[in-house]
Amino acid sequence: MTLRLQNVQKVYPSGFIAVNGINLDVEHGEFFTLLGPSGCGKTTTLRMIAGLETPSAGKIFIGGRDFTDTHPRKRDVAMVFQSYALYPHMTVRGNLGLNLEIKGVSRAEIEERLQNVARMLDITLLLDNKPGELSGGQRQRVALGRALIRRPNIFLMDEPLSNLDLKLRERTRTELKKLHETLRVTTIYVTHDQAEALVLSNRIGVMNAGNLIQVGTPQEIYDRPRNVFVAKFIGTPSVNLLNVSVQNLAGLLAIRLTGSEKPLGSILLPVADDVFHRLGPAGTQLILGVRPEAIAVLTEAHAEAVPAEIELVEPMGYVNNIVLRFGKDVQTTADGEPLIAVVTSSESHERGEKAWIRLRPERLVLFDRTSERALAILAGERWEGV
Amino acid sequence: MTGWHAVSSVLTSERAFPRVARSGLSWPKLAAAFVVGLWLFPVYWIVLTSLKPIKEINSAVPSFIFSPTAENYRELFTKFDFARVLMNSLVITFVSCFVVLVLGVPAGYALARMKVPGEKQIALWILSLRFLPPIAVAIPFYILWQDLNLLDTYVGMILIYVAFNLPFAIWMMRGFLADVPVALEEAALLDGLTRLQIILRVVVPVVMPGIASTAIFTFVFMWNEYLMALMLTAFKSVTVPVTIAKFVEPYTVLWGTLSAAVVIQVVPMLVVVFLLQRHIVRGLTLGAVK
Repeated sequence: MTLRLQNVQKVYPSGFIAVNGINLDVEHGEFFTLLGPSGCGKTTTLRMIAGLETPSAGKIFIGGRDFTDTHPRKRDVAMVFQSYALYPHMTVRGNLGLNLEIKGVSRAEIEERLQNVARMLDITLLLDNKPGELSGGQRQRVALGRALIRRPNIFLMDEPLSNLDLKLRERTRTELKKLHETLRVTTIYVTHDQAEALVLSNRIGVMNAGNLIQVGTPQEIYDRPRNVFVAKFIGTPSVNLLNVSVQNLAGLLAIRLTGSEKPLGSILLPVADDVFHRLGPAGTQLILGVRPEAIAVLTEAHAEAVPAEIELVEPMGYVNNIVLRFGKDVQTTADGEPLIAVVTSSESHERGEKAWIRLRPERLVLFDRTSERALAILAGERWEGV
Repeated sequence: MTGWHAVSSVLTSERAFPRVARSGLSWPKLAAAFVVGLWLFPVYWIVLTSLKPIKEINSAVPSFIFSPTAENYRELFTKFDFARVLMNSLVITFVSCFVVLVLGVPAGYALARMKVPGEKQIALWILSLRFLPPIAVAIPFYILWQDLNLLDTYVGMILIYVAFNLPFAIWMMRGFLADVPVALEEAALLDGLTRLQIILRVVVPVVMPGIASTAIFTFVFMWNEYLMALMLTAFKSVTVPVTIAKFVEPYTVLWGTLSAAVVIQVVPMLVVVFLLQRHIVRGLTLGAVK
């Protein structure tokens, strides 16, 4: 079923605005993730869709029908809770079958659906156990099964993987994706884990402080962040933010690190017509967002490279994270975080070595310094306005 | 290992660990045994007295070895009609206990879950009813019960016991119910259960240990209650504690009958505690939430 949120707002009696007027359309069968840090309003939004919270304003449509004031019992949405919330006094069978039993589904059909779901989730042997006898991963499957067996209008998942250890979390993530590919039930998934969001979602909605900041496919969110917050929230290691100024060099956009004399030669690239206008007069201070993989670390001086020093090498297996520091005369990053480059581990770098960094012309974004909004994005070989 | 090796190894270990420690007799254990003995001795003495003939009971030198007799018990049931008294106590206590739980669990749930203005004050006010010394209201209740024709009736006693124990039960259940994860109820709500179904099928089973504890407490309070029973009953609905006290007569104490009655009085309490403790031991929300 489709889901539409129309200017949905949640203000608590204390005056705290948990969700600040969200508009959202989710397609039928879509896996949509609400992503954001804790306290950003994503869980509140999910709970409003479930009917566990009443919106202060706005409307919620499920399958085109207004469900805003419908009792949660009658919405036919299934939710997987972060804590699983399994009924501790019932067996797995009882947990899975309760909804169907309440709906008055026949015993034979309940049993058949139970067996199907149990097979799908590999919990057939656990059907007569109680939740207290299961491991964390098994409980998580049962919680998932309790939602799956219902064939609901919409699946709601509130950080369902956050209580699993890393290995299990990654495995379950893959299974969840497979499950969605097979079942194609509209799913709203809440997480603060950007990797989960990127892997699972058809589309992601990034939230911060009650606002839905950007909605897009995982690739769009990664490549074309709307502001500094989105850019920083997605991707590990985090995007590097550099203080820069720009200049119009005969129609090409030249970027200069603040404090450095030379422009970064390698990214002297053509621009769309309106870009200079958007970026403001020459010399305006901007923030350049550079993904760690867009930084090349050279061991020899290069005309287009900026000298730096290797502060730390973090081996990650197939890649190394290299923490870099500029020379004294060049200002460091805009947010005070170290500059990090990701290079393949076949390049050998040592701590304390001198290096020259060069930006690759990929996924670069120029942000306004005060509003932190994206102004221009390097798309292919050309800067475009946002 | 040959026989000799086995024997010698036993001998050496014997020397390394003195016999007292190995057989489990250490100082802390001895101290514990002493305390337990100190507490259990009166119980033991009462059981003993209830089985003694009158001559042994009154002897100046306490005797531990005698030929036991059921005479005290026989007298209790024939001369004092104790079976009827026991029945009174059982009916009054069990019915009151049931009513207290039937009212107390939903009231506790309401206080734990509903957002009511001044809910904290309401909860405190309910508990404060428990602060009231029964003696302060005994006489007014006597007059009231007389006007309502409730003196010396089951209904009168049950009303009084419910009134006195309900606040405590509500307070206790409120605590237990507040510990039930809200997510459980939300899950049940989304599973399509009505509020009443949620309470009966999810909340009550989960909070069973709390209900069992509350039941034990209220049962013991009511079963042992003396003052109100003394004031408000005379013959028809007289309870065990009041009857036991009557064995202390102006010129003599009927020790044998009294002891037999006390022994019988303890039995229902033991039965209730043993039946319910299984629920208490079980974890409250085992496996519900991570």
